[in-house]
Amino acid sequence: MFKKTSSRFVSVMTAVMLMAVMVVSGCGAKNDGPTNAASESPSQSAVETASPEPTPSASASPESNKLVVYAALNEDDIIQLSKKFKEDTGIEIEYLRLGNAGEASTRILAEKANPQADIFVGGSVEFYEPLGKEGILENYVSPNAKDLDAQFNDPNGFWQGWYMGVLGIVLNTERFEKELAPKGVKEPTTWDDLLDANYKDLFITSNPATAGGGYIFVADQLFRLGEDKGWDYLKKLNENVHHYTKAAGDGINLTATGEFVIGMSWAHDIVKSAKQGYPIKVIIPKQTAFEIGGVGIVKGGGNTENAKKFVDWLLTKPVGEMNTQMSNRYSVRKDVAPPEGMIKIEDVDLVAYDRTKAAEMKPATVEKFTQLPAK
Amino acid sequence: MEMKRLRREPLLAIAIVAIIAITGFFVLWPILKVVSYSHMEDYLKLFTNSRWSRAALNSLFITAISTFSCTLVAFAFSYTITRLNVPFKGLFKFITILPIVSPPFIVALSYILLFGRQGMISKHVLHMNFDIYGWQGLWMVQTITFFPYAFAVIHGVMKSISSNLEYAAYNLGGTHWQVFKKVFFPLCRPGVAGGALIAAMNVLADFGNPIIIAGNFNVLPTEAYMQMTGLFDLRSATVLSTALLVPALGLFLWNRFWVGKRSYVTVTGKETSLEHYPLPRAVKWGLFSFCMFVTLFILAVYGVLFYGAFTTTWGYDWSFTLKNMHYVTDKGREIYNSLKFAIFSSVAAGLLSLPLAYIVQKKRVGINRMLDFLAILPGAIPGVFLGLGFALAFNKEPFLLTGTSLIMVLALMFWNLPTCYSASLAGLQQIGGALEEASQNLGAGSVTTFRKIVLPLLSGPFMTGIVTSFLRSITCLSVIIFIYSAKTSVGTISILSLVQDGAWGSASAFTVVLISIAFAALIVMKLLLRKDGKSIEL
Repeated sequence: MFKKTSSRFVSVMTAVMLMAVMVVSGCGAKNDGPTNAASESPSQSAVETASPEPTPSASASPESNKLVVYAALNEDDIIQLSKKFKEDTGIEIEYLRLGNAGEASTRILAEKANPQADIFVGGSVEFYEPLGKEGILENYVSPNAKDLDAQFNDPNGFWQGWYMGVLGIVLNTERFEKELAPKGVKEPTTWDDLLDANYKDLFITSNPATAGGGYIFVADQLFRLGEDKGWDYLKKLNENVHHYTKAAGDGINLTATGEFVIGMSWAHDIVKSAKQGYPIKVIIPKQTAFEIGGVGIVKGGGNTENAKKFVDWLLTKPVGEMNTQMSNRYSVRKDVAPPEGMIKIEDVDLVAYDRTKAAEMKPATVEKFTQLPAK
Repeated sequence: MEMKRLRREPLLAIAIVAIIAITGFFVLWPILKVVSYSHMEDYLKLFTNSRWSRAALNSLFITAISTFSCTLVAFAFSYTITRLNVPFKGLFKFITILPIVSPPFIVALSYILLFGRQGMISKHVLHMNFDIYGWQGLWMVQTITFFPYAFAVIHGVMKSISSNLEYAAYNLGGTHWQVFKKVFFPLCRPGVAGGALIAAMNVLADFGNPIIIAGNFNVLPTEAYMQMTGLFDLRSATVLSTALLVPALGLFLWNRFWVGKRSYVTVTGKETSLEHYPLPRAVKWGLFSFCMFVTLFILAVYGVLFYGAFTTTWGYDWSFTLKNMHYVTDKGREIYNSLKFAIFSSVAAGLLSLPLAYIVQKKRVGINRMLDFLAILPGAIPGVFLGLGFALAFNKEPFLLTGTSLIMVLALMFWNLPTCYSASLAGLQQIGGALEEASQNLGAGSVTTFRKIVLPLLSGPFMTGIVTSFLRSITCLSVIIFIYSAKTSVGTISILSLVQDGAWGSASAFTVVLISIAFAALIVMKLLLRKDGKSIEL
């Protein structure tokens, strides 16, 4: 009897193993060969057939035809950028989409001994600085950078600014009209308007200890009001905050679905959610802060020449326009129109944001922030 | 004596050495890599930084209450399914699979939609205003998410407990309570403890749920994860992750201590076909109502998720659309990768766990505790930590695995090892030594006895372990988040991207597809096994 069960069991196990092997080999699993990439993935083969002609320029050069990109961008954005880059240069992008710049930079740091990426793109330039200091980024100044305002070019050449994002207020118009407008509350136009006691527990924002946007918001207040008044403001605002989310974007959907009435996040992400059909609007308050979105070349990635081409390409006008359309972010180029649904960047009342000082005071500020009455 | 035995059975000795080498290399080394990344002064911050110590206390608190509730629910479900004659048992079993096959953070999203301040149930049905952002909400979501892991273990053990002893106790005049307390529960103990341990370790390491629903209630994994992703502080992250190992170690010891060294033998080789002894009606229907309540609750959570996959604007515009599904059709490679890694890693974990559990349980070779510790250790470390460890340990020649499929499979395999191992071990603890002694007296060596006697009896728990691992792997996020590459990206990564991009409708759609695939795979396995007259217990 035992022998019988045993052989049955073995046959089941064999079946399982066979199944595993079949699934893998049947679909062409030699994952490492680039030749099999097409059969592996429908999406990838679609990308390939989109531009069928092998570009002569790339095949003529001894350089590889590949570029590995770590992108702290929305998935759709990096897909579109990849397609366009291939169209324009013939270089194939292999991308890795990461949740945010912190994740991307940590990964690049972890891979220091054996860099996997050629390009780090997206996310605030603050995340590029430490990598540059660690000697992980390549020093490169694009010839196209001369067209830009100096603040978008790293004096050390480790990173290059290519887009801008500003902080905004997200307002659930449906709940606002129903619950707050009858009380005589006006839509906010300044950060100070957020102190209105009617917003108590209806306001959601992000934690400066964990979210880049959350910290820029805190620094914004300190620059805008000065040290003492800035902290008074944060303490008062703390009364209205329901809770501090981990990431800057987390509050948008919670406001969009009506969990909260009002929140703080990046304006371009708010516009993106609004375009999905949620009853929300973006308000860009006076004296708001902005981030510079970066791109940098990882040292020793193996496709450094292509990486330089990518940086040059990213700074061109057509790509700037394309990015503005798909991500609602501002281009660093003055000749690119603002994103749909956003005012011109020149009309945004920007706070005098000292990036160096903001970086220096971060540890102390975050520490002091955590001492605010527990929320 | 031990050495003599090993000399007599060289195969056993080789197996032990190989297992220690493999497990050490893929578990201990990555851990050491992470732990040694920071210096002493970084570790001291754990005590001086109030934010961190609060996170540590919060972690302990939520682990304690969630583990308790997970084990309780799992016990009630197991008991109802194995010992009571009530309707809807199939549904109850089905409900324990759902949370395993879906990425956890998705449950938290549904939960907000149902019970949030504008929640479909909380506001529109109950007309109440719960504040679910905090430990209460987290507790509920974690109970739903992780009780199935405890259930898998407890149910496996409970099912294999013969009712002969209970009958004997009743015949001797025992009351229901006495029989439960003195006979039934002690037999369940290894299962309950094993189940609680698995649940506790999952809760302790969970970061998807807290990020979405815990509000200002910080726990260690979210702090660690955010130190890495938000603050760009690998050293603090490694410190916080390391801090998680301490309570995990405590759990492990508590488990060993509580289960003790008693024997819980009930599988004797003799068949039993007795009906289960009838229980008082109040107990029976009370338990039934409880299971029904939990079932409806989970169905509501997943109903919302499925519904959301087909609506125009998640949580706002409920009109029907298929547009969310279009995204999924572009993502064949991710789904294929999910399946591939899950199959390979779970089968590999299962195959490794069998001899491991067998040696630990049946062969007193002096290093049982160490082997046991090695096997359960991956479950004690947060997935993010394990993934980071793999990224740090295998990114240099000659162990250059970064970016390959192999590193994904290996990381998932060792992450799954405790699940498979616990299932195998719980199964083994039920098998009496007499059967093996008989086999050995007849001249069979360890290997033959293992293959011919132990393996067949173990196939149920073994397959349960593999299938649970498979489902866990398909929905795993934490372990792979630092080691996936452009070529080896998987379904859960896409879902997380969508959640982060605010595309909750598409995220739901992708989750629905992933759940369907997982179920399809499960059904295939069940059919395969049914042909052989066996069943997977899940």
